[in-house]
Amino acid sequence: MTAKATAAKVTSRAADLAVSGLTKVFGTTIAVDGITLRIASGELVALLGPSGCGKTTTLRMIAGLVEPTEGDVLIGGLRVTRTPVHRRNIGMLFQNYALFPHLSVAENVAFGLEMRGVSKAAIRPKVAAALALVQLGSFADRLPAALSGGQQQRVALARAIVIEPALLLLDEPLGALDRNLRESMQVEIRQIQKRLGITAVLVTHDQEEALTMADRVVIMNGGRLEQVGTPEEIYSRPRTRFVASFIGASNFLHGRVIGHDGSGLRIALTGGGEACMSHSDGETKEVLISVRPEAVSLAALEERAQHGGSGLPATVQQVVYRGQATHVHMTLDDGAPLLAFLPNRQGEKAKEDFSPGNRVWASWPSSSNWPVADG
Amino acid sequence: MGRLSGGGGLLTYVMATAGLVFILAPLVVVVALSFSQANIATFPPSGFTTSWYEAVLADDEFRQAFLTSVVLAFAATVASFALGLPAAYALDRWQVPGARAVETVLLSPFILPILITGLALLQFMAMLRMRDASTNLFIGHVLITLPYLVRTVTASLKQVDRSLEEAARTLGASPWRVFRRITAPQIAPGIAAGCLFAFMVSFDDFPISFWLSTAERMPLPIYLQNSMSKVFDPSIATMSTFTIVTGVLAVIGLEKLVGLRRAMNV
Ligand SMILES: Nc1ncnc2c1ncn2[C@@H]1O[C@H](COP(=O)(O)OP(=O)(O)OP(=O)(O)O)[C@@H](O)[C@H]1O
Ligand SMILES: [Mg+2]
Repeated sequence: MTAKATAAKVTSRAADLAVSGLTKVFGTTIAVDGITLRIASGELVALLGPSGCGKTTTLRMIAGLVEPTEGDVLIGGLRVTRTPVHRRNIGMLFQNYALFPHLSVAENVAFGLEMRGVSKAAIRPKVAAALALVQLGSFADRLPAALSGGQQQRVALARAIVIEPALLLLDEPLGALDRNLRESMQVEIRQIQKRLGITAVLVTHDQEEALTMADRVVIMNGGRLEQVGTPEEIYSRPRTRFVASFIGASNFLHGRVIGHDGSGLRIALTGGGEACMSHSDGETKEVLISVRPEAVSLAALEERAQHGGSGLPATVQQVVYRGQATHVHMTLDDGAPLLAFLPNRQGEKAKEDFSPGNRVWASWPSSSNWPVADG
Repeated sequence: MGRLSGGGGLLTYVMATAGLVFILAPLVVVVALSFSQANIATFPPSGFTTSWYEAVLADDEFRQAFLTSVVLAFAATVASFALGLPAAYALDRWQVPGARAVETVLLSPFILPILITGLALLQFMAMLRMRDASTNLFIGHVLITLPYLVRTVTASLKQVDRSLEEAARTLGASPWRVFRRITAPQIAPGIAAGCLFAFMVSFDDFPISFWLSTAERMPLPIYLQNSMSKVFDPSIATMSTFTIVTGVLAVIGLEKLVGLRRAMNV
């Protein structure tokens, strides 16, 4: 490598992104239904949702590969809704990598610079720097077919960032990789994105990937935004039943508000038992409460008095050992399911008390009660 | 590539061998006859001589016919390429209304009896007072060679990974540059295969030339047929050998250019 090549640096010209009322209708299906969202410069936002909820369509409208039926896309404050793809200055990663099979790794990375009319002499150090950034400096002359999946996606990343895009769009970029590689690539992509300060939108249906990589997570459902927030907000303060069950596991308990005391609302649970809740969104009489399974602890029914907070009786159905935790599946007296994750600490006695058919007292701290909209 | 084994494998080999024998044996017979010393073309050939080659090469009319066929096939191929490539691209990539209908019309020479097409064409040209045999032959040949290009190019366009084109677009390539730099290299083998088919179909064509050729503009297959009805000596086999060699050269050329197996999508 020449001195010049090592001297070159990959930089970014990141911009903020805004979409407003973005809608796409295919024939009779409404794939995306009026999405409005702002993404700050340098931020990584993950679009997360079940299959068919419109994530890819949203991303492709931002890229310009799909024309919106309605709504606008603004990059760096400029309206680009009618700007063709090749003038948007966007880097994009595809699930199948989409490396040009007839071009070498270096030629692939050089492609975008060539299209921008950068001189051959200026291209070489930039390509070398981009390949060095993804640790593939020695692979420059190979053809893509001679690389592993992870290496191919790293080349695609180098190809996308070398053009200093205003925006980096990633559509399930790691979907084709095996689990371990996926996790290390998540970290690697995130580091590079942060270091260069690139604005990025990541589409995924893998919640762990979204939580690991994103500054903010956008939960989509049926073409609409369900909730937008930091991973912590989304997990601990889900707005709807859909979000609570989509991110992590959740128990849902129906109840009625029966009164007030100093610490908050007192609620009678439909399955018997009582719950207290400090956070509430108004004067609703009927409430739906979300309780995370890891908050639930179990005790023999006779010991119920020793366990404060919220609780109710349940019948154990199935006990599943899952390594880090034991999952106890129960039913409540009204037939609703209840799930508890009991951590398995080294040297601790196994939970043999809880076997199918046993009656138990399930309880949790009242701070774990979180009201959700029944949507 | 996996090795074939078992009963199915044996059957495949037997059928492949039989197919090869049936295709190659007549060609071998023709080539063998072209060196025969006998005065009429009978098999097995007797003796060995190259005198038929000397005679044929000295024959002005044969040289004229061979040249006519080569030029005609080349021109028809070039024209089919120039028309077929954009047509196939438009049919596959743009949502042009009536694309299916246009495709059916373009591919119709595959289905209609060519002899009838030729006759219809002759009447049509007579009606328009088109008397130049070269032009008429050229038009007629393009009509039957164009479908081969449209077909092979459409097939290879459908195989191109669309995300490659999308990636190129996001990287700043205009539609034309996406085609030049990304699409064209992917479909090059298909284009080459289509050109080979077109060349051979034209070079070998009888039914269209039968109607449109004149005594002054006579492609090789027509000339061969005419000679055959006069005498049937080994010079016919010699002329045929030239046709075979031309075909083989075209195939080798394609193999050298893009690799035949890739071109045929196998
Ligand atoms: N080109 C198209 N023509 C018609 N319908 C389409 C088209 N593309 C997407 N759709 C429909 O739009 C909806 C959203 O599709 P989209 O690909 O955006 O979902 P997604 O969230 O990316 O799903 P996945 O996680 O499975 O990739 C789906 O119902 C899909 O069938
Ligand atoms: Mg998708």
